[in-house]
Amino acid sequence: MITAERKPFEQIRAVTDQFGKVLVVGCNTCVAVCLTGGEKEAEVLASQLRIARGQDGIAGSVETVTVLRQCENEYLDAISEQVKAADLVLSTACSIGPQGIAERFPGVRVAPAMNTNMMAVVKGHHHWAEYCVACGDCGIFNTGGICPIARCAKTLINGPCGGSQGGRCEISPDVECVWQLIHDQLVSLGLEENLRKISGPKKWSSANTGGPRSMKKEGFKP
Amino acid sequence: MAQDQTITRHFFRPGTGDDGLRPPCEVACPIHTDAQRYIQLVAAGRYADALEVIRDTNALPQSIGRICAHPCEDACRRGQVDEPIAICNIKREASDGAKAEGRGYDPPRPQFGDRKVAIIGSGPSGLAAAHDLALMGIRPVVYERQPEAGGFLRTGILNYRLPKDILDEDIAYITGMGVEIRTGVAIGEDVGFDELAAEHDAVLIAVGLSESRSLPVAGVDNRGVLLAVPFLEAVNAGREVPELGKEIIVIGGGNVAIDVARSARRVSGGDVTMVCLEADHEMPAHDWEVRDAVAEGVKIVCSQGPNAIVGDGQVEGLEMKRCESVFDEQGRFAPTFCETELSTLPGDTVIISIGQMSDMSFLGGSGPELDGRGILVFDREQCATTRRGVFASGEVVTGPGAAVSAMASGKRAAIAIGKFLGVDVDFPAEPRAVNELPGYVAGMINKGARRSVPARPEDERVRDFGEVELGLGEVDGRCEASRCLLCAAGARYSETRCISCLTCVRVCPYAAPEADGNGLLKIDPDKCQACGICFTQCPAKAIDLAVLSEDDIRAAVDAALEGSGEVEFGCWYPQTRVAAEAGAVMLPCTARLSLGLVLYAFEAGAGRVHVAVCSEDDNGRFVTGHRQTRAVVEEGRRALQEIGLDPEALVLTLVKEKKCLKPQQ
Repeated sequence: MITAERKPFEQIRAVTDQFGKVLVVGCNTCVAVCLTGGEKEAEVLASQLRIARGQDGIAGSVETVTVLRQCENEYLDAISEQVKAADLVLSTACSIGPQGIAERFPGVRVAPAMNTNMMAVVKGHHHWAEYCVACGDCGIFNTGGICPIARCAKTLINGPCGGSQGGRCEISPDVECVWQLIHDQLVSLGLEENLRKISGPKKWSSANTGGPRSMKKEGFKP
Repeated sequence: MAQDQTITRHFFRPGTGDDGLRPPCEVACPIHTDAQRYIQLVAAGRYADALEVIRDTNALPQSIGRICAHPCEDACRRGQVDEPIAICNIKREASDGAKAEGRGYDPPRPQFGDRKVAIIGSGPSGLAAAHDLALMGIRPVVYERQPEAGGFLRTGILNYRLPKDILDEDIAYITGMGVEIRTGVAIGEDVGFDELAAEHDAVLIAVGLSESRSLPVAGVDNRGVLLAVPFLEAVNAGREVPELGKEIIVIGGGNVAIDVARSARRVSGGDVTMVCLEADHEMPAHDWEVRDAVAEGVKIVCSQGPNAIVGDGQVEGLEMKRCESVFDEQGRFAPTFCETELSTLPGDTVIISIGQMSDMSFLGGSGPELDGRGILVFDREQCATTRRGVFASGEVVTGPGAAVSAMASGKRAAIAIGKFLGVDVDFPAEPRAVNELPGYVAGMINKGARRSVPARPEDERVRDFGEVELGLGEVDGRCEASRCLLCAAGARYSETRCISCLTCVRVCPYAAPEADGNGLLKIDPDKCQACGICFTQCPAKAIDLAVLSEDDIRAAVDAALEGSGEVEFGCWYPQTRVAAEAGAVMLPCTARLSLGLVLYAFEAGAGRVHVAVCSEDDNGRFVTGHRQTRAVVEEGRRALQEIGLDPEALVLTLVKEKKCLKPQQ
């Protein structure tokens, strides 16, 4: 899933204080599952804004509405009236959400309340970790099902580097050395010989660095 | 101290989920009283509200609060953890507490139409039927051959268990509703049955089992041989029983025999020995009745049957034969004896208390049909006899049982009569209960000692007929009520709101939520303990609790702020407040508190919000509840700081004195 974290409150205030009628729009898919931007979190943010604006005597209102996914127009159309009536739409989705709203409702002022941070796996309650950077050329078959592109600080494809210490990455004792993990996994699979093979240069043109991407599928067109 | 505003009748809707499951106590109760609700109201000290809940189903709340056989307690799932909740005593506490407040004793005055129903018998069944018919707008007229109403509650149950003034108050409430009770009128003698039937739109026969069974043994005609019912009637009426000696043998092992023995002990001051067929573990009397009798000096001889009453004109003793078995393989009553193993118990009085039967002679020849054994032919579903418009209820048709069972029968008959008379009522569906607690869940629930009811000392109480049990009193009553596990009152989840994020699966301490491969969720009501952690963590607002929904808590916050500028989110189990001056919002556990609710309190105008919490090593009701509470307070403080409020306005206070989780002093 995509995870996103809320921006610092003062940044949100700095934007929202300029507007009277603020509509906080929650997104009930990825950011809800990562417990930061779903219906409940949108209501908490709205409540905080109301209290803070009330203290500072800022006129207007802060209301909330939540859609299942802000990245799909059909869901956005369902809140069209509320969006158009607002002076500012504050989205608690990943950055796709506010862009989707801005595109669907030209003329509406939209602000993100969140910073998108990663595509993640759920490690446990309240804990997510980045497992993919969408390079567009997945090679984890050779690395025991573990992605060094997303999970190595240096994006090494022939690791580890000399900064691997006791299974930890030199950048922080909290970060696992993914090449240690890959090593251990390949050993347990009886494939440690793979480690002796040098991987050639990676094709980066399929990644974001190769320019903006879009995806189309062949088949039925309605 | 600002009063807890949370748990009014309206704020509390346990067990109203789509699954329709109810707490086992309520399902086990023959009249399905919403015990969980009144228990919670007693825990909150809201006695009049509790009494109102009891009165919804129970026409004799004070009496039943003293003498009930309480099958609810046998079903109570707290019994799997330590001991069942003392539900019957809590019921009494509700009526005692409401009385002390001067509330809850003004009966409604329903308007009656033209139709009237004759009820023969003013025991628990007849009174329950009269009460319910009155509420349907049908005028009940109760006929009682005794000089005072109450049936066996008055003539068969002694003052030491049910004081007459308490029974009088219950009856006064019913007559206060407009129910007419004509005492001293014997149907079949003063008024013929046909005449009665002609004068009323329907008749209910609720005459109970008014006659004692005797024994076909030699010597039964001796002076000094008494029957249980007339004996209890005489004692209850304060009449002397000249035949009563000083060495009394009571034949029988049921609850009535226990009452006979305990009253004989009080009246005679002599020795009383019960003789029964059953081995001690088979005795039909309730354990606690036996215990009380033994405590008062009653001796019990088990596994012996009466062979002959010894004496020539005057009882000199009871010859007994050893009883080998009481029941046959099918569990039917079929005693077998060793005819050669005889012994004699000396005594000057024998009171036979081996069961009761009905006397249907009042019907004359014109009443509804009786079967070959003289028992009413009866349609159990429709409570109908073979004569149109004549119904029956209570022990006369159900056989001997608890008073509350007789009331249940009377209540059903009232509905049957209502239907017969065209009232828009129907028999309610039988409620279904949650199952037993899974063993691992029972093991996770902290234990808390059951409060026992104080009783007068044995040597003092056997000298008079004053009430033995003194009632739990406020502190123990509320603490005892706090032990309730809130069965079936936990998480309710909305399939349409659920986003299958699995958060609830991860946070529930009891593993109640389960998701299938498609993320479709089920929250197992047998496991859920209503702690509220899933509610606070669910990001999609797909989970709420039956006991105090989020809207209920918000409303309670509003109410709390009417009288105070501060709110306390308290825990109702320790019965301890942490901020006396704050308006109280008491929760089953402050783990129920979400960040949204904390902010709501500030948004609603609270200058300060107090939150009660347990310590790590003395965690209260729910194993991980205190962690959730601490986390939400930390989150709340960060949220306050972000918006420029003093984070210290959110105060976390450790609950030190946990009255309810400590053994009784």
